[in-house]
Amino acid sequence: MRIKTLTVSVLVAASFAHAQSADEFFEKKIRPVLVTKCQGCHNAKLKTAGLDLSTAAGFAAGGPSGSLLGGAESRLLKVISYEFELKMPPMGKLPAEDLQNLAAWVKVGAPWPGAPKDLPVPVMAESKPREWSAEQKSFWAFQPVKAIAPPQVRNAAWVQSPVDRFILEKLEAKAMQPAAPASREALIRRATFDLTGLPPTADEVRSFLSDDSAGAFATVVDRLLASPRYGERWGRHWLDVARYADSTGNDEDHRYPYAWRYRDYVIDAFNSDLPFNQFVREQLAGDLLPSSDGGVNRRGIIATGFLSLGPKALAQQDKQKMLYDVYDEQVDVTSRAFLGVTLACARCHDHKFDPLSTKDYYAMTGVFASTKSFANSKSSGVSPMLLTPLCDDSEYRTSQTYKRWLAAKQRSINEVYDRRIDERNSELGKRLADWMVAARQVYVDGKPVERVAAREKLDVRVLRRWVDYLEAGAAGRPHLEAWANANTKTARAVAVDYQTKYLEKLAAYDKKIAEWRDRATKTEAAMKSAPGKPSVEAEEEPFFTDVTFGGPFAVADARKRENDVVNVDKDKERQRKLEEKMRREREMTVPREELLTDADRDRLRTLRAELDEMRKGAPPEPEMADAVAEGAQVEQHVFVRGDYNSPGEVAPKSVPSILTKAGSPQFGQGSGRLELAEWTARADNPLTARVFVNRVWEWHFVDGLVRTPDNFGRMGERPTHPELLDWLAAEFVQHGWSVKQLHRTIMLSSAYQMSSAVTEQASQKDPENRLLSHFTRRRLEVEEIRDGLLAADGTIDYEMGGSLQKGFGTDGENSEGRLSLNPEKLSRRTVYIPLRRANLPTLLNLFDFGDATTVNGKRVITTVAPQALFAMNSEFVVERARNLAARALENGGLDDGGRLDSIYLRTLSRPATAVEKDTALTYINHYRQKFAGKSESEAWQSFCRALLGSNEFIYVD
Amino acid sequence: MSRRAALRAAGCGFGFLSLASMLAEDVQAAVDNPLAPRAPHFQPRAKRVIFLFMHGGPSSVDTFDPKERLERDHGKPLPFKRPLAFSGGPAGALMKSPWKFKASGQSGIPVSDLFPHVRECVDDMCIIRSVVGEGVDHGAALLQTFTGSSTFTRPSMGSWVLYGLGTENQNLPGFITIKPTLSHGGAKNWSSAFLPGAYQGTAIGNAGMKAEDIQGEPIEYLLNKRLSNDEQRFELDMLQNMNHRHAEMRKYDPQLEARIRTFELAFSMQAEAPAVFQVEKESEATQKLYGLDDPVTQDFGWQCLLARRLAENNVRFIQCTHSYKWDQHGELFKKHTENAAEVDKPIAGLLKDLKARGLLKDTLVVWSGEFGRTPVSQGSDGRDHNPYGYTIWMAGGGVKPGFIYGATDDIGYHAVEDRMHLHDVHATILALLGLQHDRLTYRYSGRDFRLTDVAGVVHEKMLV
Repeated sequence: MRIKTLTVSVLVAASFAHAQSADEFFEKKIRPVLVTKCQGCHNAKLKTAGLDLSTAAGFAAGGPSGSLLGGAESRLLKVISYEFELKMPPMGKLPAEDLQNLAAWVKVGAPWPGAPKDLPVPVMAESKPREWSAEQKSFWAFQPVKAIAPPQVRNAAWVQSPVDRFILEKLEAKAMQPAAPASREALIRRATFDLTGLPPTADEVRSFLSDDSAGAFATVVDRLLASPRYGERWGRHWLDVARYADSTGNDEDHRYPYAWRYRDYVIDAFNSDLPFNQFVREQLAGDLLPSSDGGVNRRGIIATGFLSLGPKALAQQDKQKMLYDVYDEQVDVTSRAFLGVTLACARCHDHKFDPLSTKDYYAMTGVFASTKSFANSKSSGVSPMLLTPLCDDSEYRTSQTYKRWLAAKQRSINEVYDRRIDERNSELGKRLADWMVAARQVYVDGKPVERVAAREKLDVRVLRRWVDYLEAGAAGRPHLEAWANANTKTARAVAVDYQTKYLEKLAAYDKKIAEWRDRATKTEAAMKSAPGKPSVEAEEEPFFTDVTFGGPFAVADARKRENDVVNVDKDKERQRKLEEKMRREREMTVPREELLTDADRDRLRTLRAELDEMRKGAPPEPEMADAVAEGAQVEQHVFVRGDYNSPGEVAPKSVPSILTKAGSPQFGQGSGRLELAEWTARADNPLTARVFVNRVWEWHFVDGLVRTPDNFGRMGERPTHPELLDWLAAEFVQHGWSVKQLHRTIMLSSAYQMSSAVTEQASQKDPENRLLSHFTRRRLEVEEIRDGLLAADGTIDYEMGGSLQKGFGTDGENSEGRLSLNPEKLSRRTVYIPLRRANLPTLLNLFDFGDATTVNGKRVITTVAPQALFAMNSEFVVERARNLAARALENGGLDDGGRLDSIYLRTLSRPATAVEKDTALTYINHYRQKFAGKSESEAWQSFCRALLGSNEFIYVD
Repeated sequence: MSRRAALRAAGCGFGFLSLASMLAEDVQAAVDNPLAPRAPHFQPRAKRVIFLFMHGGPSSVDTFDPKERLERDHGKPLPFKRPLAFSGGPAGALMKSPWKFKASGQSGIPVSDLFPHVRECVDDMCIIRSVVGEGVDHGAALLQTFTGSSTFTRPSMGSWVLYGLGTENQNLPGFITIKPTLSHGGAKNWSSAFLPGAYQGTAIGNAGMKAEDIQGEPIEYLLNKRLSNDEQRFELDMLQNMNHRHAEMRKYDPQLEARIRTFELAFSMQAEAPAVFQVEKESEATQKLYGLDDPVTQDFGWQCLLARRLAENNVRFIQCTHSYKWDQHGELFKKHTENAAEVDKPIAGLLKDLKARGLLKDTLVVWSGEFGRTPVSQGSDGRDHNPYGYTIWMAGGGVKPGFIYGATDDIGYHAVEDRMHLHDVHATILALLGLQHDRLTYRYSGRDFRLTDVAGVVHEKMLV
């Protein structure tokens, strides 16, 4: 950079001198560039990046990062050079001539014609809060929830719940009729899938069908709400919103080893009917809330997984970008999940449609910028994620102390070997030239390696390693060029040269290691972790590192080698090559064990015994969570155009100004998460309760009252029943934010219990069923399909909680370990199957699961041929059908009709009709007649497969 | 039924509405099938794309962008502050290419000795030497190469194309990715993200698998291993019988009819699709052309030959992946030599074969890594990541043949002429397919999204 700029300056100083005057040079060469390429954004009005390049004063003032001048180090020249992180102008590098002129101009002090000598430096003033228009302020979603009395209706007999009045009023206004009540079979299947994600059992169906009491359905609803299966279903709904997954997704897809604790927390929150406002508080700031027993708030810490489990790019090398992408993701999930506003759209510019400014965006970003999401976000490479212990500090410190002791003991063990290895390197190094010359005799002169070794009194294994190392030549290894160019006459001299240099490096290395040993012993004595063993930069000392580590002088840990997995290749030729390679390696291996003396061996025995003893006495590993924690306070600036290289005015922590009618939080000393949580959970927050009751409505009815559940803004839809939405929100808050109570209010209505039959009138007048003249039929979601199949043949495993994902970090590129576990090989409920975000299970993709990356309040349902292939050909379905048929056939107490009833009850939640029985048995008979050799069981299996593939199985009326 | 209701019923969501160019009959087609072919915005030059992805990042200055100055100034320090690279260590010195370049063909375009076979095809290739991306690490760079965003989950290029154009062969998926990588974003690089799931790429195996293990069942659930065709048809008739009776009792619900049709489509798909994957049916000469007879070139040869068969069968978007090989922070000479040997002949075979069959004129072939590599050394024998100016090439499908477009600076670090950001690459690929990148939008979360975000310029100068 410097060199280039200087040359350029010299070149154009001449042209500058030749110009008639500095003024003319400016007007002809500089101003046109500034006007056409810079001032579009950097003018007095926009001041993009806090920079005004339209006047001499503005230019002299520079930007928030300081002056633009400074000779060859000028920020202006850096930025326009395109060799700096920030590149301007953004539409393309300036032509070489312009660059030269600007450099020449800066070099002489950037004179502006007629500018006064001493320019005052203006101070950036904080801009006034944005004024929103009356229309924006009066937008429906930002108004307080209104207290509304359910309306009067003509057909009062239809009303079972106040909910029905709101629905019926709109239908009556359009002269439409609500559908008849659903059949009891349809209703229990609907409610059971709805609340638990599973079909009802045969007993549950029979018991409901025979219960004539007025409260029969209420009994069913209460039973389902009390089932642990309820939390697994509704927790999963929330996990869609929380974009839950068990790994980071981006770049290397590192596991979140404790994500499952958050998932279990969510399931438990629904099962225990945790008030929703508390659910909100815990997910944003649970770590800052007191625990119920005064100890560590485990639950609260785990709950903040909501913020910590998003997609992250741990290997992103621009660490500042990595951090701000995470904060952005946290702003996005928080604003959409709880508030239904798309605040993240205001990262680079004010929101195009809603009254949300970039300042609003950065005001919330400040909260997350002051929150810790990484254990360390500074060092290059892969940034380690934050893991939080779920125990108190002293317990954690004790366990860490033990860890250090164990590490120190392990180091002592390693040292026994390493000292001998170091000694050996010195010994071998003294004859390095002999080794090289001897190797040359083998690979150049073609002499047998054993004979050369014997004659020169060299270890044949080491000599083989030398041959292996030198034989490959210098291609791509410039440090071996001198050796490769040597001939028989010069070889000895060149080798001696290599030896001298090697011994120099070795001495330096030994010194470094000795210093490290000293330091490590001291730090361990002081109960601290020893520093890592110093490494040699392979790029600086390629020959030394090659020879010493991994190359000719390397030794092997025999115990490790024994554990090497022997691969067997199907291809004979490849297998032969593999074995040949392994044989060669054995011939070259020097086990490190043979360097030990008897005293060493004794010492190792003692040390290993001590290590074992210590391990036995160590406290259990503390339980951990993937959570966030309080971080250092960050004074957040607005980033102009979303670019952290262009900080603008300060954006003090705040919530979006359009939502502050009922008050805005006073942010104190911490990150601000607690204040944000309290404000979000307030009863008078216009959005929190509305957005959540709308979600619940949608999960019951397929469509929400607002059909864009994650976006209540201008580009979202308007509510079909705004009064009902407000009434439900108010009821919800009044009943202590109880989600289970909300389910009862909704499900014990006539609206919920309507048939899904569509009349011609309804299909004409209201094809989208916005007025809810009937229940909307829906396809099962993938969890319901898979769990329903496993329930049908009775192989489902209802064990709750815990993790099926093992291990930490990530796996090798393209290894199987990068895949999610295959749900078709497991029998736990789908909600418990870990989600590797980068490679979600294909079954989940096939049935519209979504991508677990952003808030997904509504799954888009598609109907495509590969789904039919799953029903027709997957082993998973074949196995379910086999079990289903076997169960029916093995039941000796049943006749064929009874068998069919049991199969229908298990799959379609109803007995078979007479016609269906007739059809089925005819099919089974024909199947056996048509396909000779097929057993009775195979015929029944075929029928069961057809049933499992049927629309009736996969749709809920 | 209203248009909106029709779309909803087809399960495509209301985002479909924002495809402004959609004609009335297309809307009707989409009701039946989200993958039905749709008219492009304007006359297309290419009908389909084969994207050859060199995972890891091949070095441009060692392949298609020779730099005399590196020869001259070998060992001298980088003349400016090194931009952000992947490794934090000190910047190495300028390093000349260990390979020789030779001019070839009528066009005389130089290609290094790494690609002697591809070199024979330069007169059909358009070498773009000025591509610019934003990701310095693989994850970000792959994501941006395939989705336009280096950070967020966005629909992949193939998904956008399928969403925009549908596909002409309903018996095969419209977007197929052969042996895709599981790392660096994995499936995100071929996912439909928030576009309906029908537009996601169908993976044929993955990069960790061997071709012979994939051939048994190239597409999940495609084959029934237990039943004869007759047996399955008989069973399917029972199933459809139930479905029809079910639907008769539930009128005015097109989603039920739609699902009934998917079973017939699936049945014809499993009858027709497997034959397309039978690469072994090709003549010996053709197999040799792709290097299937040599263990070194076998795997990528299989990918390329399969890609041609898929192209022939009108699959809209096809990706082949050579993963994860090209990341030479060290051992550049050894590993780049090995890598190029694995793909050189197969790629040349593909280009020649497509041309001989008249497919090259409307098939766009793209060859690309996720970035290039630095002209300075890393260690003694490596190069670090360089997204600031690197080479990709295209062939067929309306790009100028035998043409060099754009340039990097004299050491090959930054693109300086006709800089082509990845957004521009995407805009240009869409334009070749007859799609105007700023009209191909999808409404999600209150915003109209597109492949090119808020950027993208079609580089007309490199088009025929």
